Amino acid sequence: MLKINNLSAKIENKSILQDFKLEINPGEVHAIMGPNGSGKSTLSNILSGKKGYDVTGEVLFENNDLFSLETEERAHKGIFLAFQYPLEIPGVNTNVFLKTSLNAIKKARGEKELDAIQFLKLVKEKAKELKFDEEKLGRQLNVGFSGGEKKKNEILQMSILNPKLSILDETDSGLDIDALKTVADGVNALRKKNNSFLIITHYQRLLEYIKPDFVHVLMNGKIIKSGGPELALELEKKGYENIN
Amino acid sequence: MEEQLKIDFEKKLKDFSYSDQEKKFKETNFKEFLKNGFPNRKLENWKFSDLNQIIKNNIGELTFYNDYKKENQIDKIELISELEHNKIIIVDGKIEKIDFKFEDKDKIDVLVEQSEETIKENINSLINLNNAFSNKFCKIIIKKNYSLKKPLIIYHSTNKNTQSKNTNSRIDFKLEENACLRLIDIFKDNSEKNFLNIYYNFELDKSSILKNYKIDKAINNNVKYSYNNVKQEANSISETFILSSGSKFFKNEINCDLQGQHSSAFVNGIFDLDDENHHEIKSNINHLVENTKSYQLVKSVLEKKSKAVYQGKIFVSSEAQKTDGYQLSNAILLSENSEFNAKPELEIYADDVKCSHGSSSGSLDENSIFYLMSRGLNYKEAKKLLINGFLLDVIEKITDEEIKNLIKDLLGVKQ
Ligand SMILES: Nc1ncnc2c1ncn2[C@@H]1O[C@H](COP(=O)(O)OP(=O)(O)OP(=O)(O)O)[C@@H](O)[C@H]1O
Ligand SMILES: [Mg+2]
Repeated sequence: MLKINNLSAKIENKSILQDFKLEINPGEVHAIMGPNGSGKSTLSNILSGKKGYDVTGEVLFENNDLFSLETEERAHKGIFLAFQYPLEIPGVNTNVFLKTSLNAIKKARGEKELDAIQFLKLVKEKAKELKFDEEKLGRQLNVGFSGGEKKKNEILQMSILNPKLSILDETDSGLDIDALKTVADGVNALRKKNNSFLIITHYQRLLEYIKPDFVHVLMNGKIIKSGGPELALELEKKGYENIN
Repeated sequence: MEEQLKIDFEKKLKDFSYSDQEKKFKETNFKEFLKNGFPNRKLENWKFSDLNQIIKNNIGELTFYNDYKKENQIDKIELISELEHNKIIIVDGKIEKIDFKFEDKDKIDVLVEQSEETIKENINSLINLNNAFSNKFCKIIIKKNYSLKKPLIIYHSTNKNTQSKNTNSRIDFKLEENACLRLIDIFKDNSEKNFLNIYYNFELDKSSILKNYKIDKAINNNVKYSYNNVKQEANSISETFILSSGSKFFKNEINCDLQGQHSSAFVNGIFDLDDENHHEIKSNINHLVENTKSYQLVKSVLEKKSKAVYQGKIFVSSEAQKTDGYQLSNAILLSENSEFNAKPELEIYADDVKCSHGSSSGSLDENSIFYLMSRGLNYKEAKKLLINGFLLDVIEKITDEEIKNLIKDLLGVKQ
């Protein structure tokens, strides 16, 4: 589904990713762990199409050259990024935003757009599953949301948009224990349908709820080690300095 | 220009048999205008624009005479169909129609006799020009305790063949105690390259409410100046909302004298500008007695080489203790060549007051754009959503729901 070959990225001549390689197949869950500043968010941003990086190498998503696609086209094709720091958008109603987003994607795919009633039914159902306070959907997007609520809102968007590849950038940071479980349930529900995940986290706790197929350690812009779920446990015990 | 002015004024005086008083009034104003001419940058209120230059660049040579003996066609003017309303139709500065069809006839008076007071006023050279050349005097009185059932829309229109002309219109309003008027100004420009000069005089008696929504949305090549002079008695409220967008140049000046306790003035506005349009809002809020309140919020979205100027003044006299004055402006610059100038002016002579002001401008937040695009919106859609969001709080300041919806429609903001 996703193939990253020798991806290098610079920002203002500062090298952030170097010869990064990763392949994700349908239905797989990959976890990336790595110290602060190692390049995890940079990788997520590049995959989603954020501008401002000088990149070399190749990224294929379902055999499409990712770099030839605009940010929104990547979303149309099924890439979703749950932001590490979701943005506050003043004056934009959350429900209106969700509907605009879903219908933009449906339209691009040539599917039938949802009308207000169908949409409300869907969003209510998903909000309930994720124990997301419905009242918040009537508010301005992420404005005045707590840290955890913003993260949950990202997962709500994910489950509504039903992406093929979801990148979760530290979605677990800032979530309480119950919220962590509901978020994991949300991920696992999507996973069943052969969707793939790239999960960025600092904590092995999340990986207890979402069993990854692979765990990668990212340091200084490079994957220095890959393994199964047990690698996360090892990391937690030893720390990044002593892994090799 | 002086030659032209004199010729046109002579012609104007011959048109009707003005009373001695009317004649004197017009002549005095004409002399004042001849003396001072169009305002320029030397005046604090015109720091950012030279009207002579603006007229020269966009119109060329102006003429000032309009034939008010002939009747203008008004049946071709497209009226607002979204809401029921009373109407006044002005063509080339002449009031062609006054229609209060939704109202109780005995609750509204239309006067043509000018009072001594308004004759003596000397506000600025453009008002002098207006007084010299505008048509017969007209004053609308809303009687005590009467709230108009429907809004009044004033259509400002020009004839198809009117070009390079200055047109002047003036209406005075008096809202008696506890009366209420919702007034919408809409521009229907049928021709280009004219200079429209509009002057409203409002007397707000105790507890009366005036809501004035000025909508300049349709794209046109005209230059416009509008002056609202509002005098407010105790407990009266004035709400002014300006949507400044379509004209080549538009300067809205709002003067509010809060001269009765617990009176309040709200001046909110949007500059939504494109191309090389240059628009301004100049407010003077004069807090003259205790316990008065003013609130101003102006938001700008500026494309290309457009330019917006907001000069908000809060004056607090030494008697005006417990004044509450607030003023804020935010601008989004969508191009490196667009320009926003905000000049808050606070002149405070009382010590127990609460006054604040602020201003910010910046470009569209690229991270927010990326966030929205990562959810499937293209750049244009993301931008539109952000701009609508940016404008929402000032639109929400419109207290009349019907008119708020009309303005939302015009701006393409539907949530
Ligand atoms: N716009 C930028 N300009 C300059 N440097 C940047 C920029 N964005 C990221 N960096 C740098 O690139 C490096 C990688 O940042 P990145 O955000 O990808 O780290 P991360 O692995 O996500 O860290 P964390 O765990 O703290 O979220 C850091 O050193 C950061 O300072
Ligand atoms: Mg990060």
